Amino acid sequence: MIAFISGGARSGKSTHAEALARRWQAERGGARYYLATARSGSDGEWQARIGRHRQARGEGWITLEEPVDLIAALERVEPGGTLLLDCLTLWASQLLYSSEHASELAEVRGIAMLEHLLAEARRRDVALVIVSNDVNEGMPPEDAEVWRYLAFLQRVHRLVAQEADEVIQVMAGLPQVWKRRDGEPS
Amino acid sequence: MQLFIGGACAGKRDAVTQRFDAPHWHSAHAGCRLEAWRSLTETRCLVLEGWERWIGQRLADEPNDDRLRQAMARELDALRAWEAEQGGQAVLILLEMGRGIVPLGRENRRLRDLNGWLAQDAAARCERVWYVWNGLVKSLTL
Repeated sequence: MIAFISGGARSGKSTHAEALARRWQAERGGARYYLATARSGSDGEWQARIGRHRQARGEGWITLEEPVDLIAALERVEPGGTLLLDCLTLWASQLLYSSEHASELAEVRGIAMLEHLLAEARRRDVALVIVSNDVNEGMPPEDAEVWRYLAFLQRVHRLVAQEADEVIQVMAGLPQVWKRRDGEPS
Repeated sequence: MQLFIGGACAGKRDAVTQRFDAPHWHSAHAGCRLEAWRSLTETRCLVLEGWERWIGQRLADEPNDDRLRQAMARELDALRAWEAEQGGQAVLILLEMGRGIVPLGRENRRLRDLNGWLAQDAAARCERVWYVWNGLVKSLTL
């Protein structure tokens, strides 16, 4: 099963996603994994953010660090496990802009990678909780590169929301249900 | 009249295409002027999109926000009247742009304000209002 959880900055997305991943693991057994798209070797502010998230998550998570290659991360998850991916905005920027991956084909490659991730997670019986951040409801960007990023991130969001069994928009810590696990819209 | 509102690239066009059969698209992005919809009254279902552009085109000529808001609302009233007289269906697509940082430029602040007022004025005149979010669609009415 797959969940997509998105919302604004500090809306409570991660807290909700972590609780859902814990609940799914309790139902299913298996191990609980946290896929961090941020590398821990970054600057001081990032260290602090990562530390805050890690502390809030508490014990019982196996942490995987993988900035871009989501399939490589999934391959390290035992079948029957639960994987929390937090978050797509950072993954999307690293895919588009990190020097080793940046190219005209980055978007195509990224969409293919995500489609593969969702299909492989189902095939391997890995429960997947995916977190992202909505950034498209403010003034539209004037810069063409920022537009490119926004358009790509939205393509990613629409794909994941379409494929997910459960879709939640978090506002002020409260979950707004768009899709429930049986596929019925609320 | 129905309203579809959502952020950039949220999937608003797909949401409309899935719900209306062969509508006529009257789009600012294709260079159409707002008031030119009046020459399209043969069509049964009329989709109007690019309202933020239409507001933008009028900003310089109308420095007064209240008058500009009223002028936009009169277009909405005219669309409602057309629906009632001709049995047509008007579908409005509006861009949500009010959930970010206050823009630095005065014209962008005006655009954002007027777009927000237009959304309120449109929703008040529509039988159904839909929020489009990441390709999913939720009714805000009923």
